[in-house]
Amino acid sequence: MAKKNVLNRDKRKYLLPMERKWGAETHCYLPELTDQLDRSRIDRRDFLRQACLLGMTSAAAYATADALLGRPLGSVAHAAETPKPGGTLRVSMAVQEMTDPATFDWTEKSNVARFIVEYLTRTRADNTTVPYLAERWEAGEDLKTWVFHLRKGIKWSNGDDFTAADVAHNMARWLDPATGSSNLGLFDAMVEEYDTGEKGADGKPKMAKRATGNAIEVIDDNTIKFNLRKAALAIPENFYNYPAAIVHRSFGKDTPADLSKHPIGTGPFDLAEFRVGERAILKKARKWWAGDFHLDEIHYFDHGQDTNAWVAAIISNQVDTMYRLPVESVETIKRIPTLDVLTTTTAQTAVARFRVTEKPFDNVNLRRAVLACMDHDELASKGFNNLGVPAQNDHVCPIHPDYADDMPKPKRDIELAKKLLKDAGYENGVKLTISNGDTDGPWMTSTLSVLKAQCAPAGIDVTINKMPSAQYWENWTKAPWGYTSWTHRPLGTMVLSLAYRSGVPWNESAYSDPAFDKALDEAEAELDVNARKEKLKVCRRILRDAAVIPQPFWRQISKAASKKVKGLDVHPTLYHQFQNVWLDS
Amino acid sequence: MLNLILRRLGIMLLIMLVVSMLLFFMNEGDPKLVARSVLGPFAQDQQLEAWIQQNGYDRPIMVRYIDWLVRLSQGDLGDSIIYKVPVNEIFWDRLANTGILAGVTFLVMVALALVLGVLAGIKEGSIQDRVISFVSIITTSIPEYASAVILGGIFVFWLGWLPGTSSMTAGFNPVELILPVMVLTLYGFGYIARMTRASMAEVMTSQYIRTAVLKGIPYNRVVMRHALRNALIAPFTVIMLQFNWLLSGVVVTEYAFGYKGFGALLLEAALRRDIYVIEACGIVAVFVAVTTQTIGDIVYTYLNPRIRFS
Repeated sequence: MAKKNVLNRDKRKYLLPMERKWGAETHCYLPELTDQLDRSRIDRRDFLRQACLLGMTSAAAYATADALLGRPLGSVAHAAETPKPGGTLRVSMAVQEMTDPATFDWTEKSNVARFIVEYLTRTRADNTTVPYLAERWEAGEDLKTWVFHLRKGIKWSNGDDFTAADVAHNMARWLDPATGSSNLGLFDAMVEEYDTGEKGADGKPKMAKRATGNAIEVIDDNTIKFNLRKAALAIPENFYNYPAAIVHRSFGKDTPADLSKHPIGTGPFDLAEFRVGERAILKKARKWWAGDFHLDEIHYFDHGQDTNAWVAAIISNQVDTMYRLPVESVETIKRIPTLDVLTTTTAQTAVARFRVTEKPFDNVNLRRAVLACMDHDELASKGFNNLGVPAQNDHVCPIHPDYADDMPKPKRDIELAKKLLKDAGYENGVKLTISNGDTDGPWMTSTLSVLKAQCAPAGIDVTINKMPSAQYWENWTKAPWGYTSWTHRPLGTMVLSLAYRSGVPWNESAYSDPAFDKALDEAEAELDVNARKEKLKVCRRILRDAAVIPQPFWRQISKAASKKVKGLDVHPTLYHQFQNVWLDS
Repeated sequence: MLNLILRRLGIMLLIMLVVSMLLFFMNEGDPKLVARSVLGPFAQDQQLEAWIQQNGYDRPIMVRYIDWLVRLSQGDLGDSIIYKVPVNEIFWDRLANTGILAGVTFLVMVALALVLGVLAGIKEGSIQDRVISFVSIITTSIPEYASAVILGGIFVFWLGWLPGTSSMTAGFNPVELILPVMVLTLYGFGYIARMTRASMAEVMTSQYIRTAVLKGIPYNRVVMRHALRNALIAPFTVIMLQFNWLLSGVVVTEYAFGYKGFGALLLEAALRRDIYVIEACGIVAVFVAVTTQTIGDIVYTYLNPRIRFS
């Protein structure tokens, strides 16, 4: 093949001089990746993401991409003005309990914590993952080993050095089912099932999960190696998932697992005041190892759950920005001259997932009938104030790098729905109830109302069981049919792994198919973007055929900010990255 | 009189005991549900069982109830599930905040209602009576969640005069009280005003008022000295009842303005099944209700000799 001839196998070319000095190694796939970029088989963003994932530093990756594509160096947004140091950023956001980062189940909890404890990697607002506490990493050729080199010279706020022992302690906690961390599903490749020796009520042996024996290997103070049971691509991205903040090695061992009481961190901020449900006051207490942090203080204020109160708070200048702007209020804020509306496209969504083990939703034809009733364009426009992007019932988003756009889009077909309903044994129609907590706003009810109207002609009578949002979250994994919002994740494989793999904690649909699990394993082990798109298509097809999730649309998200706030990005997962933020008085 | 007070106090205790029993049985009747609330949706069945045993929830319910009463009487309210701190740490601040809001509202509302009620009642059927009656009926029929949005729209979005939320983020700020007090007053004053008006109108038609007027006593003095005292007996009961309404009325208002009070705490606890907070809030709400009623009854007896001597 011609490809072989042009391929440059001198791997050292992909390292910056400094990294060469450190003796950095590169992944064997990097030359091919660069070649693909050169031949336009992948785009710039895919290249950056992949190269960073495989351990190329972001500076080197950007430089390579720029050299090949001819973009100017250092073209970073917000660079036009010189940041002014100092000041206090006031943010309206729920201030929730902040005991154990490993068990965080709300992004808001992590947003207060992330200025105290930090992550091994960082996924930027443009969806590329770059080094953070880890200065670089290398993946084995089979993607079954990952070596993370930790940055030297970082100190904890109590004076201890940050070392591989800290990371090993965190990883061990995440992989212990007793901790109850959702990271257990993310790092599934380091977990095995074993026989506890006891017998359950049904006489079958009780199985439990635990970390594989050699999963975590501390090589030296600044190097840690992870040995995986099977190949996994998104390990660096997983390290920025919000419950993956790195806590001190004494956390949960020598001190109780409560970050709000024992806030030891690597970040520049101290927790000056913390009142759950009211406020969290963060004050800069030390120089940040990563450079300048312009803000002196960050104040989070809890204005309750009424979205009108959030909007009222920013309009009357009680806060400078907010966690998120409800879609219903976007037009209102646009009319206020002192405020900006910042919007970004995300893979945030909500899925009307069936619990496939519950009657009547264990009937695949019934599920398919509901899907056949859906008109995604109408759902996106009427359900989400024209800020929705139609989805395709498989939870992989067009902005995901592993999304292939050549799969047929689902089409509304009432005749087909009627036929499927008949096959399912509901010739005379069926009454179904969907639980909804409006957990992310009243648009969820609007969307379900559109869905209800779309289902009616086929003889499916949908009742929307509206409940308080907290009550919904209490039962979200149990409701037979529920409308659950899901946040953005940078890769399609990540979200499928979290939500649809057999037996993982967040598998709310109880969907379990060995063929799907196997296809997902294969997709996760594939480095080549185009090949991975194809492999992910297999998963998506299985998920669609099984009709597990009627998924109306992807959400664009917005936040409002005072015009004096500079350098603020909307992160697709609403993570707060304020290192570039400064205030123009 | 002493006998009456003692009897009322006895009844008050009995009511509180019954309500505490209901509260306890509803919230902690099923140990498994308690364990589920505490440990969260991810907990396995074995973890629930272990928790139930560790925390003594495998004991008979009456034993647990008495145990709970004893702890309650010692001031131990348990640990909040969503806040993960002792209920005592958050509860009293929140209750004090509501006390401030309810107290200010009460002063403004009662003063406004009495003045308007008297003005309407002294000249029944006049223009001023018609206008006051009409306005108080309209405002009483707008629920708090609607008036919160309407007033917010006017004073925050349109005029920009008042802060939109009342979280007291930079310490106590009286300006932030204006909107919630306005909302509560608007809803509550009409009822008291109408009762005062009816009572006043009735008194104004009585013969001793006519005699006083005919005797040549200045009209102002007739109203202030002779009419008002007698006219206030009926509104007094209504005013005491407003305490109970305030406790529930603040829930919606505190929620709408992000005010950190008892009502918002109770709402959040109820929505997220934070059982120990619900119990604490429930007991306090009942205490306030029963106490104000008892005080109301006693003062009423004092005001109206006919009840005292019967």
